[in-house]
Amino acid sequence: AQQQLGREHQGITLRGSAELVAEFFSYGINSILYQRGIYPPETFTRVQKYGLTLLVTTDPELTNYLNNVTEQMKEWLYKCIVQRLVVVISSIESGEVLERWQFDIECDKTAKDDEGPREKSQKAIQDEIRSVIRQITATVTFLPLLESACAFDLLIYTDKDLAVPEKWEESGPQFIANSEEVRLRSFTTTIHKVNTTVAYK
Amino acid sequence: MSQEGSHEWELSKENVQPLRQGRVMSSLQEALAQQDSSSHTAVQLKKQEFEAEIRFYSGDDPLDVWERYIKWTEQAFPGGGKDGNLAAVLERAVRALHAQQQYYKDPRYLNLWLKFGDCCNEPLDLYSYLHSQEIGTTLALLYITWAEALEARGSFRKADLIFQEGLQRKAEPLDKLQAHHKQFQARVSRQTLRALEEGADGDNMGLLEIAEPQRSSLADLKGRGKKKVKAPISRVGDAVKAMNPNRSCQPQASLQLPNTPSFAVFDENSVSGPEIPTLTAQSWPAPPVPRAKENELSAGPWNSGRRPRSTVSSAMEAPHPLPSFTPYVDEAAQPQMMTPCKIEPSINCVLSTRKPEERQDPLQRVQHQQQDTQAKKEMVMYCKEKVYAGVDEFSFEEIRAEIYRKKAKKKDEDEIQAIERKKEEIQRKIEELEKKLKKKEDDKQQQPHEQAAEVMGASTPLGMQEFTFPGATEYGEKKPQSQSEFQIYEDTQPHKPSCSDNVGLLPPPATAPLFSIFDESSTLANQNISCSADRSRKSARHPLAVLKPVDSLSVKESTAAAACDELNGIERLTEDAIVTGSYKNKTLCANPEDTCDFNRAAHLASTPFHGVVAQRVLAPAFSQNELKRDSPESKSAPLNQETLVCEGAYTEALSVKKLSPIMEASLEDTHSSGSSVSGGSLSSVTQMSAIKCLQISEKLELAQSLPVEVVADSGGNVTEDDAAQFLWSPEQRKKLLGSVLSSLVASPDFHLETDVLPHMEVEKDVELGNETYCIKMEYWNNEEYKMFFTIPTGCIFQWDQKGFALKVYSQPVPWDFYIILELQKRLNSDFDQSFSENCSCYLYQDGCAIVHKDINCFTLRDVLRDRNFITKEIIFLVVHDLLLLVEKLHKAEIVHGDLRPEVLFLGDRICDAFSNEEVQNALKVVDFSHSLDLKLLPRVSFPYNFPIAQTPHGQQLLAESSLPYQVDLVGIADIVHLMLFGDHIQVYQENSIWKISQNLSKTPDSDFWSKLFERILNADGKSTVPLLRELREEISEMFDSSFKERLLLTLAAVGETFLLVNSQ
Repeated sequence: AQQQLGREHQGITLRGSAELVAEFFSYGINSILYQRGIYPPETFTRVQKYGLTLLVTTDPELTNYLNNVTEQMKEWLYKCIVQRLVVVISSIESGEVLERWQFDIECDKTAKDDEGPREKSQKAIQDEIRSVIRQITATVTFLPLLESACAFDLLIYTDKDLAVPEKWEESGPQFIANSEEVRLRSFTTTIHKVNTTVAYK
Repeated sequence: MSQEGSHEWELSKENVQPLRQGRVMSSLQEALAQQDSSSHTAVQLKKQEFEAEIRFYSGDDPLDVWERYIKWTEQAFPGGGKDGNLAAVLERAVRALHAQQQYYKDPRYLNLWLKFGDCCNEPLDLYSYLHSQEIGTTLALLYITWAEALEARGSFRKADLIFQEGLQRKAEPLDKLQAHHKQFQARVSRQTLRALEEGADGDNMGLLEIAEPQRSSLADLKGRGKKKVKAPISRVGDAVKAMNPNRSCQPQASLQLPNTPSFAVFDENSVSGPEIPTLTAQSWPAPPVPRAKENELSAGPWNSGRRPRSTVSSAMEAPHPLPSFTPYVDEAAQPQMMTPCKIEPSINCVLSTRKPEERQDPLQRVQHQQQDTQAKKEMVMYCKEKVYAGVDEFSFEEIRAEIYRKKAKKKDEDEIQAIERKKEEIQRKIEELEKKLKKKEDDKQQQPHEQAAEVMGASTPLGMQEFTFPGATEYGEKKPQSQSEFQIYEDTQPHKPSCSDNVGLLPPPATAPLFSIFDESSTLANQNISCSADRSRKSARHPLAVLKPVDSLSVKESTAAAACDELNGIERLTEDAIVTGSYKNKTLCANPEDTCDFNRAAHLASTPFHGVVAQRVLAPAFSQNELKRDSPESKSAPLNQETLVCEGAYTEALSVKKLSPIMEASLEDTHSSGSSVSGGSLSSVTQMSAIKCLQISEKLELAQSLPVEVVADSGGNVTEDDAAQFLWSPEQRKKLLGSVLSSLVASPDFHLETDVLPHMEVEKDVELGNETYCIKMEYWNNEEYKMFFTIPTGCIFQWDQKGFALKVYSQPVPWDFYIILELQKRLNSDFDQSFSENCSCYLYQDGCAIVHKDINCFTLRDVLRDRNFITKEIIFLVVHDLLLLVEKLHKAEIVHGDLRPEVLFLGDRICDAFSNEEVQNALKVVDFSHSLDLKLLPRVSFPYNFPIAQTPHGQQLLAESSLPYQVDLVGIADIVHLMLFGDHIQVYQENSIWKISQNLSKTPDSDFWSKLFERILNADGKSTVPLLRELREEISEMFDSSFKERLLLTLAAVGETFLLVNSQ
């Protein structure tokens, strides 16, 4: 009984938070890729997550790539040195940026020194994440149709002093001129706070 | 939290139609927010705006309006559907622009069509229709959309054909088309390959297992068939598109998945050749067989089906095994929404005869409409295209209103321009006029004849009368003329004994008179003989005699025409907007709807002295003139002529003004005066109105000094009503000022600005002339007048320092300035600190500002704010100065008209009591908004229009008969009462003596105050200046040596608190 009680009151640690947020990015990016039709819908499969049915890619290369990114993010999140993750969707033909999903991450750097876990149940966090994912799904109501074939790019903003790891390169912000910007919901693990915005032409 | 509001879109995401170009979040949120409030008036207004713009667009790109309208509709009605009525708007748009060939290659127009296609049941038909009509056939978008639609239906081969067609036609942008074609080919090949693979692998489902066929949402699932009930399964979704055709062994026949041989698609050369003709073979614009609408029924006569309905059950069993029509099977297998069970057999019967309903589809309607226009036989007798241009129907009144508004706007603009032009010229004109007048004056003494000719245009006919020759007098009697004019003739020529002759008595024949002139031998001779003997006769006719009257007639006619124009100004019902060119029914020409005609007729019927009638009366007069002119010597003839012209113009002016002078001189009367050679009867009239004549002659001077326009108004009898209007209408004031404008302009303090009045607001800077002022306070502000206290920009505002009073009048009439100049002129040395000695006037295009220098920022109202300030000494001082001030004004024949505590600025005597012993004035008045110059307008005896006359006490005290000066006395009484008791005066009448309701007995010096009130309130009819002086002197007597000391003491005591209280 004691143990159960402890579990219910279980807080969240820095590592746990980093994992949760990285996981969110993984599912979030997958959702965007599916919703926006970057990859053919038949290459996605359904999984149950956050109490929702989400679609994740089955393309092995893409899965691999995303896993790498997620792992990298997890590490950076744990170190609290990442500031922003951006999914840039651009036309393959013209190279023009059509959509820009921006996840701003606010890290509570004091958490590194904290010993004990923060008070916030996993369920509460997952509820918040769920509403963000739902909103990503709902954006089809206002996002324009992507007429041409598109590719996506991931940008990660980190603290300045970070050495660029292998397979990553420095890039510009790839903003959209005269874009319409919509702010989505945000969620927080008390250690990491993620604000989501989508910009489109 | 803002998030709650900003995430509304998420809650209603199902109710938002995705748009190809995306949605603007702000408008989406707005639209969603308005959905709740049910009254989206803003949206309706905007829609109305677009509807109006469509109708009254005058540019050369009507498509632009439609495009904006449609874009807006898409954004503003996220739910789509009936709300925004997008389909209807699109339909109207494509229909309205269909006639404009120049748009056929415009991508925007094609876009409208394609959007319209999305609303159609059968977009494929629409695409081929566009193709046949050559709409957008040069644009890649048509082919891309078309091919996509075909691809979605599985007609890969046809889709490829479309691409081929587009490529062949080099549709722009070609690269886009090619890219799409490539992608299309890639998709198709991928699919066929997969189909092959899976066909080989048999039941290896793999990933695609997920993609089960799905039912279309909301489709009818009711069983079909009579014995074996089968639910209709119409499959949609990814599964259908991606599904292997081989695996599409669904049991339903309705789902016909593309069974295209995949190889054939790529065999372009062989396949496309023969197929192309099918593309163009279709015989558009002949309406295609209605598709997808077979089973929908619209309202129609049901009487044929009445009986079977009563026996539904039996009918269900057997009655119509074979319907009389062949069921239509769509090649693309559109889901059939209705089951046979739902349809009553009776209705089935009707279905067979349902031809006229084929226009259910919007596309059909569009096509039909075009055919209709071609085959149209009937004539529309109203502006149908305007009424039905948009989606909403406009009423005639709305259209008229819109046109009227446009006209009014244009008129306003024109007027503004005209005013500008006038302003530029006004200076020059004034100078010219002045020169002319001067010249006239000179000429007047030397050569009256020539002078008359010159003046005639510019000056009143009355002005001429002094030089009238006897000959003119006769007409004066017989013609309709105002009384005053008549008298003047008599006055100027009282000695003329028998100025009338028989000619004047002739009943004026309407037609003949002009000819009689030429009949010299008979008529002329007679007339001349019958003419009075004292005129030196000359039988030789003036060579120009005939022509001249014609001239004068034409003058008159032109005025008559002007009067008619006035009527024409009334909007006709038959204006172009409602009944345009071809619509006009010529057979209805004597138009009963013509309001103008009607009005003319009404005038004709109700007044005997108008338009045609006036002409008839005048014509003989001129003819008589002609006759007469022969009798005087040739020297006098031209003058005679001119006078008559003037008279004619004058009577005409009267007729234009729709005065109907009473023809008092009956035939009998004139007869007697004419035949009884004595002037007795005439002179008696003259004596009766001798005084009037004097007044008129006075006015004549005025009239002569005024420019033309003024004359028109003031030249005649200035009635009291006119005078009342004179007081307050800025136009009238402007006219009045016209005469003195030159002197105003000449003043060094007068600045004519070319731009508009700057915006003025408290705590803002304002630039007047070269100076910049900072507005610190606003004393009062009504629609027309504003009074500010300003200091030069950069200075620090201190309550005890002097600044500038800035008076702003929203009309470009420098009335205040005029009054101040006049005061200066008329008072000479008496013009002192009581008035603004140093002021500058800035006349703008739309207003007028006057800056008064050296003004204390306090007014009498600030004093009244605290009873502690009002000591006995201050009351006496203020009242004394007030009396003095009004006395001066009245001496200068100026009525202030609006004496209130606010307009009385405190003079240095109160504000700066210690600095200068010599300073006398405690009050200063700078505002003359409601002032009246009785020298300019001597006959005003109608004080009702002054602001004071509107107050309760003013209404009581100012009778109709009161002199305008009385107004200021009431103002004084009220101010004194305010100072004594702190409230406005209340009066009652006792034994026809006005008294104040307050009890004076407890007030110090009650004797004096009761006397003051009694005299001021009952001064009606008496001259005000002596009264005011008397009262003032009485107060002066109280100013003994000790008074000054006491006053200084109180001022010192009060001064501190005064500044304190007021600066808070």
